[in-house]
Amino acid sequence: MITLPNSESMLRIMDLTVSYNRVPAIHHLSLELFPGHCVGVFGPNGAGKSTLLKSVAGLLQPETGRIFIEGRELAGAAPLIAYLPQREAVDWDFPVTVEGLVEMGRYHHVGLFGSFSKRDRQAVRAALELFNLTPLAHRQIKALSGGQQQRAFLARAWAQEADLYILDEPFTGLDRTSATALASALHTLKDRGKLILVSHHNLAEAGELFDTAILLNGELIACGATSEALSHTNLECAYGTAVYSGKGHLFHH
Amino acid sequence: MQRALLSCALIGFTNGFLGTFIILRRQALLADALSHSLLPGLAIAAILVGLSPGGLLLGGLIAAMLVALGGQFVARNSRLKDETAVAALYIIAFAIGIVLIRFSRVKVDLTHFLFGNILGVGNADLWIAYGAAFLTLTVLVLFQRPLLLILFDAAVARASGIRVAWLETGLLALTVLGLVASLQAVGVLLSLGLLILPAATAYLLTDSFTRMLWSGAVLGFLSSIGGLFLSFYANIPSGPCIVLLMALFLGAAYLFSPRYGVLFLILHSRHFHEESLQRWEGHEGHKHQTSKTLEQNDESN
Repeated sequence: MITLPNSESMLRIMDLTVSYNRVPAIHHLSLELFPGHCVGVFGPNGAGKSTLLKSVAGLLQPETGRIFIEGRELAGAAPLIAYLPQREAVDWDFPVTVEGLVEMGRYHHVGLFGSFSKRDRQAVRAALELFNLTPLAHRQIKALSGGQQQRAFLARAWAQEADLYILDEPFTGLDRTSATALASALHTLKDRGKLILVSHHNLAEAGELFDTAILLNGELIACGATSEALSHTNLECAYGTAVYSGKGHLFHH
Repeated sequence: MQRALLSCALIGFTNGFLGTFIILRRQALLADALSHSLLPGLAIAAILVGLSPGGLLLGGLIAAMLVALGGQFVARNSRLKDETAVAALYIIAFAIGIVLIRFSRVKVDLTHFLFGNILGVGNADLWIAYGAAFLTLTVLVLFQRPLLLILFDAAVARASGIRVAWLETGLLALTVLGLVASLQAVGVLLSLGLLILPAATAYLLTDSFTRMLWSGAVLGFLSSIGGLFLSFYANIPSGPCIVLLMALFLGAAYLFSPRYGVLFLILHSRHFHEESLQRWEGHEGHKHQTSKTLEQNDESN
């Protein structure tokens, strides 16, 4: 990625290492991303895609390194970040409607005791509208198709006024129609100046879905325009060997 | 009888309200473990200070919190998973409780601890019921929003700056308080019923978190009072009466709930047919086909 020294970066990661029980899943990763991009995160299983996303979402404690969102340290930037969990991680039987879910996004604006103001109501309505959920507002979240469920979470993030959207494998298990709808929803967000970070496993669709790609295999292999980042050489680095350890000297276990 | 009614109504309402949090946090069985682990605390209190309600309350609170936090401690520091650790500790605590009760200074009828003795409700018990109801309802209503976020997704709630550990411990303490407060009415062994059954019934009836809270409370209130009258006129112990009345509601909801009842699901099982068909013909159907052809290939090999 071209780094312009003075332009406002949305997400800046410096020397990030995250470990599970002292075994690093990603190490010494640094990168910088700017608003208005849709970024795909690629890499083989165990490359640290989920780990990277969860760290940026603040769900995992980094071992080393720092993460900045719009120049702010991660800990203080929570309202700017929206994390969409993997499908299996959600309790779809939870007694909440689409509207209730979107209202959750307003909670930190409303505070503990405040009641929903006109502005909050409007934000909820606008979010439902933007993702074509208005007719479904009073449905329980299980009574939606997979694509509608994804959009409901996006609407919650929109109501939250998040700037950074993090989606963990959102296209898994979606039928083609829903996938197209999700892709266009992500496009809308990108056009409105949001930064979207998506882990994805299908390299074939990378070009259509993402303008920027991050390629991981424990370490950062490439980060940049999709076609360049996913070049043949880079892919070889990521998928051709079990562990990648610096350019030029690959080794096998 | 009046005191018994009042205390029963208060506790039924409060625990019915609290139950929603326990059910959605999937801690019904933890609450069961806690209810059993009250016993050694009650026994030690009976040994030290006799049967004063304040002493029993404190004893029960300490014993149950020790088991809950001890379970977490053991799980973190050994190979045992947390449900095993808590189960082991609570059953040990229960056994200790039964042994200790023999050494009580005053003569204690074990069955009163185990199954309750609502007509023995004194003024102090009533104050405990007031206190528990007031504290529990205030805290839960005030912290409803952050608690809802935790129940829905604890990890995301933590990341967004909510003090999850504090609120969870608070919820645990309220659960123990609710259990202790319901001792006189239903006893150690049945106290779980007041927490779980009304909320479970409400869960089968509504899709709204707020409505689930309040309807659980109202159901708890109604069945506590109804159960008490039933026990009085039919001369059956109050605990089982209350619990069985709650069970009746739960059974009715299980069968007849307009949205999630078994009968409805059987009669309307084609409700999402169109949608699922669409999905099936899309991606899923495709995947299914390819896996089938793969299997065929395997067989021919």
